[in-house]
Amino acid sequence: MKATISPEEDYYGILGLPATTTAEEVKRVYRDLARQHHPDVAGGDAEAFRKIQEAYEVLRDPVLRQAYDRQRLARGLGREAPLECAVTLNASRLVTLDCPQMLYVLLDLRSRPTSAPQRSPLNLALVIDCSTSMQGSRMGNVKLAVQNLLEELQERDRLALIGFNDRAEVLVDSTFALRDRSRLRSAIANLTTGGGTEILPGLRAGLEQVRRFADPAAISHVMLLTDGRTYGDEEACLLEAQRAQAENIGISTLGIGDDWNDLFLDALARHGGGMCQYISSPAQLQELLRAQIHGLSQVALSRLAINVNLPPWVQLQTAFRAAPFMEVLDIQPGRLFPLGGLGEDPLTLLLELSVHQPDPGERRVVRLDFEGLAAGQPVTIRRDVTVSFVQQELQPEPVSGRLLNILSRLSIFRLQERAWQVLEQGDVKQATHLLESAATRLFEIGYRELGQVTMLEAERVQQGAEPTLRGRKQVRYGTRSLTRQ
Amino acid sequence: MTERTDGIVCPSCAKLNLPGTLFCVQCGTYLPSGGPLRTEQFPDQHLQRARPRVMGDAQGEGRALGIEIEILTTHRKVLLSADSEILIGRLDAAHGVFPELDLTSDSGLEHGISRRHARMYAREDKWYIEDLDSTNGTYVNDERLTAYLPYAIHDGDTLTLGTLRLHVILRGETSQEADDLL
Repeated sequence: MKATISPEEDYYGILGLPATTTAEEVKRVYRDLARQHHPDVAGGDAEAFRKIQEAYEVLRDPVLRQAYDRQRLARGLGREAPLECAVTLNASRLVTLDCPQMLYVLLDLRSRPTSAPQRSPLNLALVIDCSTSMQGSRMGNVKLAVQNLLEELQERDRLALIGFNDRAEVLVDSTFALRDRSRLRSAIANLTTGGGTEILPGLRAGLEQVRRFADPAAISHVMLLTDGRTYGDEEACLLEAQRAQAENIGISTLGIGDDWNDLFLDALARHGGGMCQYISSPAQLQELLRAQIHGLSQVALSRLAINVNLPPWVQLQTAFRAAPFMEVLDIQPGRLFPLGGLGEDPLTLLLELSVHQPDPGERRVVRLDFEGLAAGQPVTIRRDVTVSFVQQELQPEPVSGRLLNILSRLSIFRLQERAWQVLEQGDVKQATHLLESAATRLFEIGYRELGQVTMLEAERVQQGAEPTLRGRKQVRYGTRSLTRQ
Repeated sequence: MTERTDGIVCPSCAKLNLPGTLFCVQCGTYLPSGGPLRTEQFPDQHLQRARPRVMGDAQGEGRALGIEIEILTTHRKVLLSADSEILIGRLDAAHGVFPELDLTSDSGLEHGISRRHARMYAREDKWYIEDLDSTNGTYVNDERLTAYLPYAIHDGDTLTLGTLRLHVILRGETSQEADDLL
């Protein structure tokens, strides 16, 4: 093995692509180059062709590519900005029209893998619902999952344990970190159930613990685990979450079973820059908790925020997060919007722009400014997205398959979200129609089971019944995960 | 699909969408010919290349070559013309995938055939096949093809798509039978 990779031998260099390129782009460029250099064509070059093929075989495969990226890094290539943003448009050229037209802007945000051997220390609080409804196997599963979670944590991490019902109790505080595992173990084993569910005191106690050791180098996060509904303190909880986000403390929520308030826990996680997850079967809990801890420990870039700047002839119609899970983002042009932390999972955003440009020429349709903190250092990058406006109608440009794929899934997600909204306003007919459309689209892309559940809910709604708590959660949390690999 | 300069009318819900919209904002229907700038087909159809010239040159030196494909499990024989490229796959109307050689009825799904599995075309008297990055791959005489690279095929070759085996029968000249069918 050679000690270094020269740019001529770098697979990315061979294809002439940045290291942040998408699989789609790799494929496209490979096809062009392969045709150009194929030994059977005039001007072809067997050696160049072989290299191109070799580069493609590695970069097309996510596993091989990741391994190659690590090698590159180890050999001094690829030391680039800690944040990368790749832009995919549905068209790089648009015909000038005297009316607005749609432009889709897909953004793939990735943090560069840092060569730091040590991950950031975690500063966590686990806030566990101990109300009567958790009694029995639910609590048993929680105990098991949390015990196993301890294995995932390192000595310098901190984990506070808070149990709550109508009031909150700090079972283990943050002081001793993971050095004192036995104290955590016995506290977990001794969790008991009783009383109702009031989230606010639990949330406050968790935040208080995390605040004690919230230094910028650590990842501070509160995880709330509940199976019930809280009454009357929702607004206060959301305010707490907002405050926490301003302090760079994340909040994520895990709903167990079918009785919790999905809209509220969604909002709480959204305000706290985290994720809300639905745990329909006990076995999922352990896996989701572990994945969450893993995700947090991989955060290389924290306090990521986006600012979307538009010229007056461009309007932002809708902004979404497309992956790791789908959500409508309330991005206001010209204002910084927080996106949370960025780990090894890329963050994909989609902007739907309505563009009204009657004059030809190369124009900037949007300027994107990102900022964040990597290893305590501020990071900013700027991306200008330009489109050429032409008067003539052109050869149709290929639309990225990945973009279409994401759009088709987003449209399903939107349909069902709108269905619940209009249902809330009492429009049964429209809600039925939207759910039926969502079910049809789900069948089309091969999600039979989810399609079936959606269809059943549509039928219930049509007959004037309330949607089932379970069905509605399955549809909401199932569709938002459609873009997950 | 109605196209208007001020938008695209969704064929299933009649909602007027902005030009350039790819999925109806009201009902999620894919609007493939969404506007003057849309591609006509679904995802991976960014495979534009010169159409085989064979038919156009027919008066000159070339001849139209028919290709006959026998699906070995069902013994179904399909005669295909060379005047446009042949998409092999499974029909999916919802996504605008209409293969010239549709293997749905030959248990295509069970055999692991992708909707857009491979394509064949004739160029200068020769037939080529190209795998379209299908899930389960395309083989010529048991050699797996690299996706998006054209491979020449010859009379008597066995093509394997997923686990479905096809037999290639090439006709040097346009037979009377082919003329009748094409």
